[in-house]
Amino acid sequence: MFYRQSGIRHTDYVSDSKLFPIPADRNLLLLILLIALAAPFILAPFYVNSYILPWLIWTAAALGLNLVIGWAGQLHLGYAALMAVGAYTSVHAARFGIPWEGALLIGGALSAVIGSLFAFAALRVKGLYLALTTLALQFVMDWVLSHSPTITGGSHASLQAPTFRLLGQAITSDAGRYYVALGWCVLVTIFLLNLRRTGLGRALVAVREKDYAAAILGVNSFLYKIIAFATSAFIAGISGGILVVCYYFLVTPEQFTVAVSIQLLAMVIVGGLASIIGTYLGVGLILLAPGVVNRLFGALAGYFDLRFSPETFAHIPNAVYGALIIVFLIIEPMGLGKIYRNIRDYLLVWPFDQLKK
Amino acid sequence: MKLVRMLKGALGGAALGAAAVTGAAAQEDEAFRMGVCYDLSRAYTFITPQIVQAGRDLADLINADGGIGGHPIELTVQDHGNEPQRGIECYERLRRDGVFVFDFLSTPVSLAVVPRAMRDEVVMMQSLVGRGDAINGEVFEWVFPVGPTYWGQAANDIAFIKEQNGGSLEDMTIGFVYLDYPFGQEPIRILETLAEREGFELQLYPVPLPGNDQSATWTQVRRNQPDYMISWLLANGHVVASREMQRNGYPISQYIAVNWLNEVDIENIGNEAATGILRGTNVVGGQDIPIIQEIIAELYEEGEGNGPREMINDVYYNTGVAMYSVVFEAARLAYEADGWPITPESMRRGLRSLEEYDANGLFAPVTVTESDHGGGGRTRVEMWDGETWVPQNDWTAAYQDVIWDVVDQYSSEFTLEED
Repeated sequence: MFYRQSGIRHTDYVSDSKLFPIPADRNLLLLILLIALAAPFILAPFYVNSYILPWLIWTAAALGLNLVIGWAGQLHLGYAALMAVGAYTSVHAARFGIPWEGALLIGGALSAVIGSLFAFAALRVKGLYLALTTLALQFVMDWVLSHSPTITGGSHASLQAPTFRLLGQAITSDAGRYYVALGWCVLVTIFLLNLRRTGLGRALVAVREKDYAAAILGVNSFLYKIIAFATSAFIAGISGGILVVCYYFLVTPEQFTVAVSIQLLAMVIVGGLASIIGTYLGVGLILLAPGVVNRLFGALAGYFDLRFSPETFAHIPNAVYGALIIVFLIIEPMGLGKIYRNIRDYLLVWPFDQLKK
Repeated sequence: MKLVRMLKGALGGAALGAAAVTGAAAQEDEAFRMGVCYDLSRAYTFITPQIVQAGRDLADLINADGGIGGHPIELTVQDHGNEPQRGIECYERLRRDGVFVFDFLSTPVSLAVVPRAMRDEVVMMQSLVGRGDAINGEVFEWVFPVGPTYWGQAANDIAFIKEQNGGSLEDMTIGFVYLDYPFGQEPIRILETLAEREGFELQLYPVPLPGNDQSATWTQVRRNQPDYMISWLLANGHVVASREMQRNGYPISQYIAVNWLNEVDIENIGNEAATGILRGTNVVGGQDIPIIQEIIAELYEEGEGNGPREMINDVYYNTGVAMYSVVFEAARLAYEADGWPITPESMRRGLRSLEEYDANGLFAPVTVTESDHGGGGRTRVEMWDGETWVPQNDWTAAYQDVIWDVVDQYSSEFTLEED
């Protein structure tokens, strides 16, 4: 009823490999996109600027990480470091006078170079060993940033991003920044949606499932792993740049520490490996839930007139937030994306699934 | 269609919620409100509870006395977990509700909010943390790091050693042990400049975060035997350092800690072992201070304190009282000069008119001006004698020229040439 399949017949390969075999998926997506486009007009600026904007940027970044973890099956614990490379490179490039379009691309490119350079070394090992090697990338980058004043502008200092301009148009309004973030996030989403229909996507999945089996099939697993690392690093770099120019307005090393890498990993895992909608939901939960839970708890405490010490007040929402993650993963170990998929699968045949029983 | 309806409902609900919140804010406009977005759950938990308690106690005390021109002070405390993202969220929400004075007490979050506070023209307190060059009021027009910065404190430590050594530092060696990240690295520039000027040898001993492994560092110290060790460590880092000092036979009386060393750390070191330890300090310690006595008498003895009574016996409580004294005094000055309601503009004028203000006897007097938002930044060195902190010298603000050189250089890099 909701995801109606009746009357949909694929009679050739092109139609069978369409992005959305069921029109309802496409329509739902268009509706969400429409709402997203209208968001600055229908929602209070506070919600757009403090919740939706960072949510979109972090989603774009997490989708890049999901590419390497979910699709290519390579654990990556140094993703924030690559965002830092992109952020610092593009801010420096922009301060040097390069237009922002170019600056962001340079940031992404340098991030891709460093990401794949590191992948060359890292991909000699697999699994947990790879995870630790990528963690090393994070620590190397942290060390480099905290020890090179020429990059970071000195200890405790920070680099301001120059005025953001795209195509000669200065973007200084909240709505403008929101649309840039939305545009980038949509772009990454479209890329990943299409990935699964391409040879590249299939090769990545083959490598993920068993790399030497893939090699027997003629897929150069090393090459595809490098491609996955480079692409995700590119997305990381540009996302890092956009995060700085649209949200933080300046760049400091603390914005991209190992804690951020772990947070990104949590977003991907809670959301669901190789799941796009899951990544959106995972980022929403990890990034926004602490603030929302905090506020709900504050409202509850105010309602019942409970008085806590400030620490308890801070720790209870954190505990709730942790419990929330655990509960979601117990309900569905495959992540939030799978929960959505279960609901969709249920609705796909509803109400006729009852007939079988 | 159901989905559309649901979405509409959700949007409507959100809009209603927003309206309700702004409505509530309008009713409370009669209070002087301050946004306190602190890290109450991660890295700064060794200070934030004491400071929040101090702020609330002081606010209660002033409110009992009639508040600021009859308007009560209200602190809105929220946790940001030391994450820039959540700090920004806290800032944006409170600002929407009409708050225009903020404190974040976290370097990463302060740094992340600076551009917003500057753009929104909102007063941002930043005492004792954050970027040291923010004392340059001509660049950081809305940021107020009233009180000493780390740079000032490091220079004053050197001045103290010079004084102890009869006015000369020639041929001395001073070791600097620090956490190898921005907090610890910050004074290096100042120390290097001073080493060149005063002719002492500076030895750097970086310690990896979080400072629990210092064994290699202190064996090096044993070999080099510097005359003094200045330490930029936090909380337990001092405890580990003291253990390593004992092991390596380095006297604790030549160890000058950064101001983040409190009674809890002393207890963890062991009172006897800690006797003689030195600390650069920016507030008066102990409870023999009129304002603290007043808080105890008016609030705690009435059972109306904002936290456990024993928390007062902590130098960070005094730090909190000092920080909030500055804010509330500035608000009072703003009210006296420009009346109610206090605006960001008048609040800033209030802060800038602080003259020889000693934060209820807790700071060395500060004078904030348009160009100097730090207010002088005097610190002194104190020694733990087994029972209390004993001042070893007068409040000093040494080598101001060196500090302002560095401040000017860094703050000029912050400004951007806009076309």
